[in-house]
Amino acid sequence: MQVTSTPKLSLDAHPGARPIRHVVVLGANGTMGFGSAALFTTAVEKVTFLARTTEKAEGGLAAAIRMVRSGTVATKAECGSYDDDFEKVVGDADLIFEAVTEKLDLKHQFFERIDACRKPDSIVATVTSGLSIDALAAPRSESFRKHFMGLHFFNPPNVIVGTELIASKDTDPELASFVESYCENFLGRVMIRTADTPGFAGNRVGFKVLNECCQLAEEHGPLLVDEVVGPYTGRALPPLRTVDLVGWDIHRAIVDNIHANAPDEAHDTLKLPAYMTELMEKGTLGNKSGKGFFMKDGKRRLALDPKSGSYTPIDEIARPELGFIERITRLQRVGLYDDAMQVFLAAEGDAATIAKKVIAGYIAYAFHRVGEVTETITGIDLIMGFGFNWAPPSVLVDTFGGDATVKLIEGADLSVPQQLTAALDAAKGEPLFDRQRTDIGRFWVAA
Amino acid sequence: MSTIPEVYVLGGYQTDFARNWSKEKKHILAMMREAVLGAMRETQVDPTEVEVAHVGNFAAELYCMQGHLGAFFCEIDPAFSGLPTGRHEAACASGSIALLAAMAEIEAQRYDLACVVGVEQMKTVGASVGGDYLGTAAWYELEAEGIQFPFPKLFGKLGDEYDKRYGLKDEHLAAISAINYGNAKLNPKAQTRTWYMNEEHACSRTDDNAEVGGRIRIADCSQVTDGAVATFLASRKAAEAWCARTGTKIEDVPRIKGWGHHTARIRFEDKVAESKDDRFVLPHVRSTVTDALGRAGIADVSGIDAIETHDCFTTSEYMAIDHFGLTEPGESWKAIEEGVIALGGKCPVNPSGGLIGAGHPVGATGVRQLLDAHKQVTGTAGDYQVEGAKNVATLNIGGSGTTSCTFIVGT
Repeated sequence: MQVTSTPKLSLDAHPGARPIRHVVVLGANGTMGFGSAALFTTAVEKVTFLARTTEKAEGGLAAAIRMVRSGTVATKAECGSYDDDFEKVVGDADLIFEAVTEKLDLKHQFFERIDACRKPDSIVATVTSGLSIDALAAPRSESFRKHFMGLHFFNPPNVIVGTELIASKDTDPELASFVESYCENFLGRVMIRTADTPGFAGNRVGFKVLNECCQLAEEHGPLLVDEVVGPYTGRALPPLRTVDLVGWDIHRAIVDNIHANAPDEAHDTLKLPAYMTELMEKGTLGNKSGKGFFMKDGKRRLALDPKSGSYTPIDEIARPELGFIERITRLQRVGLYDDAMQVFLAAEGDAATIAKKVIAGYIAYAFHRVGEVTETITGIDLIMGFGFNWAPPSVLVDTFGGDATVKLIEGADLSVPQQLTAALDAAKGEPLFDRQRTDIGRFWVAA
Repeated sequence: MSTIPEVYVLGGYQTDFARNWSKEKKHILAMMREAVLGAMRETQVDPTEVEVAHVGNFAAELYCMQGHLGAFFCEIDPAFSGLPTGRHEAACASGSIALLAAMAEIEAQRYDLACVVGVEQMKTVGASVGGDYLGTAAWYELEAEGIQFPFPKLFGKLGDEYDKRYGLKDEHLAAISAINYGNAKLNPKAQTRTWYMNEEHACSRTDDNAEVGGRIRIADCSQVTDGAVATFLASRKAAEAWCARTGTKIEDVPRIKGWGHHTARIRFEDKVAESKDDRFVLPHVRSTVTDALGRAGIADVSGIDAIETHDCFTTSEYMAIDHFGLTEPGESWKAIEEGVIALGGKCPVNPSGGLIGAGHPVGATGVRQLLDAHKQVTGTAGDYQVEGAKNVATLNIGGSGTTSCTFIVGT
């Protein structure tokens, strides 16, 4: 019985449009692989999970089912191995989604094999979060290069909707535009187009802030840093708890890549602190290793002392007076977000200075990237809002006020981005954040 | 009839029903504030123009340990201090009762511009405790006390009653669920817009879609939702002033053309016993609909272009389909199979995704339905727009089919 006509917006007339019926996911046993594969089953007829062995692919399918809590994933899924099934399924696929380990050589091997057997009009996408799309495409055929792009889902892709699309210099622009619309309409994504620059938009801006907090933790301790740059500054999770969640090794890979390949005005803040390198050698990798900036001992929460590498129960750590945070969160709790941020701007003392330095650095760094990684601030706003769950830079500017933001940046001894002053001039007093139907309040967490 | 003054709907604002305000560490006042400030921004109504406010809320005393929500309206803007306000409760129909009160005051010419806010913060407690609180919408001692998730069981019984009288297939209930989830994907404020759901899942009989009460499974249920919706109702005089200021034509401003309101006996088994010789399983719901159509001067449901109905469970939407007259009693399945209720069908039901797809912040739902009706008839519903909608009906139900309210919004 066909009883429903679940509505979908037709993209048939879209330039570059083509049917996407069969998606093949390579590396379907990894988190990004099976998560993305589950997402594709919502939109296409068949999704093939490929991995080193069929058993591993089946493990990916089982994980996908657990992730979205629906056994119906299986009815559209097939599993196979690189040895037995690769050429057959890749040759049939309309979209080949590569999610193998982040190693350039390995990815080149896979792309060479894809290049040899893919259908001429099939799309090839990589979920890489760090490698250059141009570099990945370079050795490939013209047809491959025209149909290749970066499609950077954030983990877990069934929950986080912000997605970056990175075209290479040879990607067919109409195809990139079609894939963008396809992801918006059929996969419920919020799409951001970024340049092929290290870390793209989200990780470039986000990990700059996270790494600066890692640096500050050396002097001030992780507990204080996570409190002063806490949820009240516009994020669901405090920064160092985020690094623990992401994993210190992943954090290192991302900031090292940006530090090595994108020298910019905030270069120093992207240098991984030496204490992290040392502790990683001893097995400190964040939550997955049981310890990072924080760890649990039974019910007690402990914080790292970066200087000694030892852990202290958090209730035994002395902290300065943080009354301004309490005043701010009390206002945010009842929805007075603008008033709350005025208290932030007026706050004085060492703790407030740390918070202002990080927030001013976030806003300035984001606006400095306009023209380099995205065309306008909107792209960065959207990936920070819907990829990182942080208050987008424009939301902060709108909440502080333009003049106050400029003062905040100057007060932190940072250069005021010309892109910010230009955006403020163009807005003529109207908000910079251009998704006014989004509940801005969701970005403020009163803690 | 013609002597009763008209009531216009100027628009409003709905918070994003996907938000978890407990995780955001917010007080229920923040939710009310965002909805009301959003409504003022959307409609360009100035706080000084608001003359009275009505708040619809079911159980903030339980969920938030906070009563007296009418008073919190005055916290939203300094201009509201001193306004006459009040809070209205009729379980899941609380929002509609607040609307009826505001409407009546405008019709009585006491006030020209009223703000109506529906609000509920539900994620403060776990599923089991929340289910127990919702049990107070039934006769708690007799129907809910000591019962895990009483409401799915009560609405499962509604399905059983249909089955007994007319026959009922679970696949038709699953189709209702799938349509609502599908529509919700087009609604940027819907709670489930990014959830994994499809018709096959809704039909599945596995642990992923476990039974929660009789024939009701997880996919048959509406959601536990935090949300607030604010809207402005205006007299002809206030609407004309608003039109002059915003450059709108008065004939383009939606009116509440008709309303219906009935309350049945509270216990489900008493309702069913009363209706045993009736063609309709819940005759008071039917009267609510026919009263509203009659007051709007609309002969029957063929004059309605879309419906926003109460689908707290798939069985309640199944009931609404024949009670609206889209089919003969007991034949709701025909409207499902023929595609009548799907978006693009003859009379789409819940283009927003309804309570199953968009979410069900109990006290806000009636106001959300009215605002969605307003969006439809003003052509501002975006991706879930019903093309050319002129008249849209709502049906908001409190309890197990106990308090029923319908509004017909049109231009």
